Amino acid sequence: MSTLGKGICIITGASKGFGRALAHEVSPLLEPGSVLLLVARSGALLQELKEELHSFTDKQQLAVHCVAVDLATRTGVNETVRIVRQEAENKIDHVLLINNAGSLGDISEFRSFTDIETVNSYLSFNVSSALALTAGVLQVFPCRVGLRWSVVNVSSILALNALPSWVLYCTAKAARHAVFSVLSKEEPNVKVLSYSPGPMDTAMQVDILRLTGIRHCLYPCQESAAKLIKLLLDNDFTSGKHLDFVDV
Amino acid sequence: TENNSVRAPDLGRALCVITGASRGFGRTAARQMSRLLKPSSALVLAARSGDELRALQAELVADAEAGGGGLLVEVVPADLAQPDALEPEVKTILYETPPSLPASLGDVSRYAKSFTNMAEVDSYLSLNVSSSLCLTASFLQAFPQRPGLRRTVINLSSLCAVQPFRSWVLYCTGKAARDMMFRVLAEEEPDVRVLNYSPGPLDTDMQMLARSRTADPDIKKSFSNMFAQGQLLTCEASCTKLVKLLLEDNYVSGAHVDIYDV
Repeated sequence: MSTLGKGICIITGASKGFGRALAHEVSPLLEPGSVLLLVARSGALLQELKEELHSFTDKQQLAVHCVAVDLATRTGVNETVRIVRQEAENKIDHVLLINNAGSLGDISEFRSFTDIETVNSYLSFNVSSALALTAGVLQVFPCRVGLRWSVVNVSSILALNALPSWVLYCTAKAARHAVFSVLSKEEPNVKVLSYSPGPMDTAMQVDILRLTGIRHCLYPCQESAAKLIKLLLDNDFTSGKHLDFVDV
Repeated sequence: TENNSVRAPDLGRALCVITGASRGFGRTAARQMSRLLKPSSALVLAARSGDELRALQAELVADAEAGGGGLLVEVVPADLAQPDALEPEVKTILYETPPSLPASLGDVSRYAKSFTNMAEVDSYLSLNVSSSLCLTASFLQAFPQRPGLRRTVINLSSLCAVQPFRSWVLYCTGKAARDMMFRVLAEEEPDVRVLNYSPGPLDTDMQMLARSRTADPDIKKSFSNMFAQGQLLTCEASCTKLVKLLLEDNYVSGAHVDIYDV
């Protein structure tokens, strides 16, 4: 497949890092009449990104919308779904939802997590939000013949491997992998991909370095984003699989 | 590998805490564990139902006395989903079996795409994931490492932690999250013995909910068949295996051990 079809593509956490790189990689591959929804908290950064994509907007008739909401809140999730519903008027043949928004959380000893509100709010943003948003978009675009549906869960090697002091992050990533695994079993017409993008040159990695003192060998976001998009173009993967940047 | 099945005779002089102790596996565990606690031990039972807990407390105290020993049994009727419930009274965790059935199983009558309400998912994760992290963390703080003190944390896991089940998104997610949580603990604190124990299909009220409410017809049928064909395990049988694991103390900390592996 050489394009992603005439689609509606939703990227959460699109304002920076991997999400932003994905917006760049996906835009040239969406056919005329497609819609790209960029979701993040920062309206200003999203607007900047939209301007960077203007050549696609003009030449390729790609409609780019900035959705500045906080996906840690039900209002934010519901608003995003509402905007998706508005775009449902357009006849499209592909829904591509990329659940990229996520946070690092507190990298601390397991024993430090005695405050339930801290844990609840972390899981809410990193797990509940992704499920609720995916469910909402699935309801807007029920599966039908001629409609291709792809959902990406931006995952991590830490969905599969435990790392000391990373209980929040590991737990949330493992939880997300379970959410999307179950979804893949329930919805045979939805291609579900859990993609672990590898350590990239993002603000999150800057935080990791500051908090842990551990410097990783970082890849450019663009490289990992390109690999993910290629996986989606080739569409060869088994739904529900967990794939890592280094393996593809 | 050497089969080193040297068994400890009992759990020693212990503080043993069991959540979800008012029924099902938790209640069975309370009974079995109490018999393995040496004099001067204390057993703390937490669950939502105060009445059921007090009845169990009376039973266990009477049994201990009849056996010639003394066992201190405390009850904590508390809703683990409420942050206030996590007070220092409940200082240590040995088991985690959530107190209320639909709250712990989640709504299995629906598919993932119906979970558009974030608050519903939040509430499920709070009870089934966050509370067990916070309780366990409190336990570790209340009982820091010291020579001669053994600390054991058991997570009641499930096949659902490692395998997706259609119409069971909340339960699978909660169990997968918990397994990982306790694997991180095992990596971080090598002196804490951590066990993710999957007890098998138990003949409990939860199982009854599973076979009556599951939306997915194939999964529902497989539960019904297990029941009809007498393949469900008693809590006693499963707990006996858990006790064996604890007393032999050979399991790899952080491992997911299924009853059928024992």
